[in-house]
Amino acid sequence: MNAVILVIKEIFYRKVNSFIILLTVIVAGTVSVAIYSLSRASENETRKIMREQGLNLYIYPKGTNLIDFYSVNNTPVFPENYVDVLAESKTFDAVRHLTGILQLKYPDWTDPNGSRHQILVAGYKDEAVQRYLPGQETMGFDVPKGTVHVGSLISTNIPEGDLFKIRGKNGKIYEFPITKRLEEGKGMLDQGVAFYLEDLQQVLGMEGQINKIEALGCVCHDGRIKNARSQVQAIFSDLEVAEIGSIADARENQRLMMNKYGSFIIPFVILSALLISGLLFYSNVVTRRREIGIMIATGKSKYYILLIIMMKAFLLGLAGTIIGFFAGTAIAEYFGREIFRFTAQDIEPLWNVLGYVIFIFPVLWTLSGWIPALMATQVDAARTLSSE
Amino acid sequence: MLDIVKLTKKYTKNNNIFTALNEVSFKVDEGDFIVVNGPSGSGKSTLLHTIGGLIRPDSGQVLFKGKNINLFTGKELELYRKRNVGFVFQQFHLLPYLTVFENIKMVCPKPVNRRKINEYMEKCSILPLENKYPSELSVGEKQRTAFIRAIITSPDILLADEPTGNLDPVNSEVILSLIGEFHKGGKAVILVSHNPGAAAKYATKSIVLSEGQIIN
Repeated sequence: MNAVILVIKEIFYRKVNSFIILLTVIVAGTVSVAIYSLSRASENETRKIMREQGLNLYIYPKGTNLIDFYSVNNTPVFPENYVDVLAESKTFDAVRHLTGILQLKYPDWTDPNGSRHQILVAGYKDEAVQRYLPGQETMGFDVPKGTVHVGSLISTNIPEGDLFKIRGKNGKIYEFPITKRLEEGKGMLDQGVAFYLEDLQQVLGMEGQINKIEALGCVCHDGRIKNARSQVQAIFSDLEVAEIGSIADARENQRLMMNKYGSFIIPFVILSALLISGLLFYSNVVTRRREIGIMIATGKSKYYILLIIMMKAFLLGLAGTIIGFFAGTAIAEYFGREIFRFTAQDIEPLWNVLGYVIFIFPVLWTLSGWIPALMATQVDAARTLSSE
Repeated sequence: MLDIVKLTKKYTKNNNIFTALNEVSFKVDEGDFIVVNGPSGSGKSTLLHTIGGLIRPDSGQVLFKGKNINLFTGKELELYRKRNVGFVFQQFHLLPYLTVFENIKMVCPKPVNRRKINEYMEKCSILPLENKYPSELSVGEKQRTAFIRAIITSPDILLADEPTGNLDPVNSEVILSLIGEFHKGGKAVILVSHNPGAAAKYATKSIVLSEGQIIN
């Protein structure tokens, strides 16, 4: 008789035992998949928040006081082609989204009403394409050439439809259409204007010059910032790298903490479930001693007996894993929508995880049936079948 | 066909040594129907299980067609039980989640001879019950199923351990007549019973065991 059919019939006959074993796999699968999915969602959330917060690494000339970017207009500058050199480097891969920026204080800007203000001006070079790294969606400011984005505070001083006007170093008045009025909450840029780099360089008479590169270092807790620093300095020893703290750091810490809990909870739940399953398989073997005895008496091999016990473990492991995967994903989706603001809609079944668990869990559950299966092969048929 | 030579088996329980078989010797020829009787604990089942290769004796030999089965490897013993021996037990020991047909089919070599199984079920009047589960059968029907399971592979020896112990007289007679019919086909039967009355008429030899020894 086909061993698979025999095993399936036994599973349905001993429903309670089989169901509880199945339940242990489902619980382990659900918890593992849910925690892993939430952890991944948390990672994506952190990444999105980091993007939302803007670029978090500054690369600037050594000796620059960072506060000078906002307070004085004489920060050290360096050639804008440094960005291209970094982007072309095979060895520079610790950061992404390299954006060359010229950012200065403009001390005497006159608004359309004739009032004078100190404002921040920032010119953005197109984000560099890192030749040796896979392409990514660009981030940061994407200011079209010949236009400006104005910060929320400045925006209130310029009527809709008016041009942004600024006096250049050469005394000439430059005019730029406003393609975006930025929402408030952009920090110092609320009182600033974003230009295309070349435009600002022309206004300020600083052609080919920038004073910082902003970039994104994704995860800052595993030494990548150190990496970034050493990689930059290996190419340009006159540049420094600094990390700008943000909400993303807090989120990152939260994510790492979640990973830490996950790395404890997942093995704990799996091991507990395996232990319970092992005991249930043992109980199953004890219950089936006479069945096993009659199999031995009718000439079934030890291999066959081992096979039917372990096949039961494998089939329940497989079924429980599939149910657990979808249950875990459903839980992650349900709670994830409550927890994550940016990535809630992105929480989807992780099919590659299904690929792993559908292999790992049935193997683990088969192993949990291993000792009981060995015990089954040692059943004393004479004793269990004897009428004396 | 079968030569039992000075078979001895001892058990230890609570530091006490219990001799189940004490130098038991006898021969079984093709066409023998041997009834082994004796009181409970006299070693009848131990003898049967030793002959069937389920128990290894402490000393002595079970020679099957000249080969000592006690020297068989595990694999050889499995083949011996599968091809040469059929067991019938007092408790039937049917797998509860298999139907009558499946319980019989379980021991059949592949490809399964459906016609042969049907013939036996017909002969034992359980063909209409082929799709029933053991829980739906009477004790007599269960024992008939167990009997077919034991002989479906056409073994050389049928070892029956109290096969009528749970049956009423009518069903006992049915089972004994089926065993008798199997025996008439030239096969050997060793039937253990503590109450051999009904079986005696089929017996060609009779052995009485007491405290592990043949006394008659």
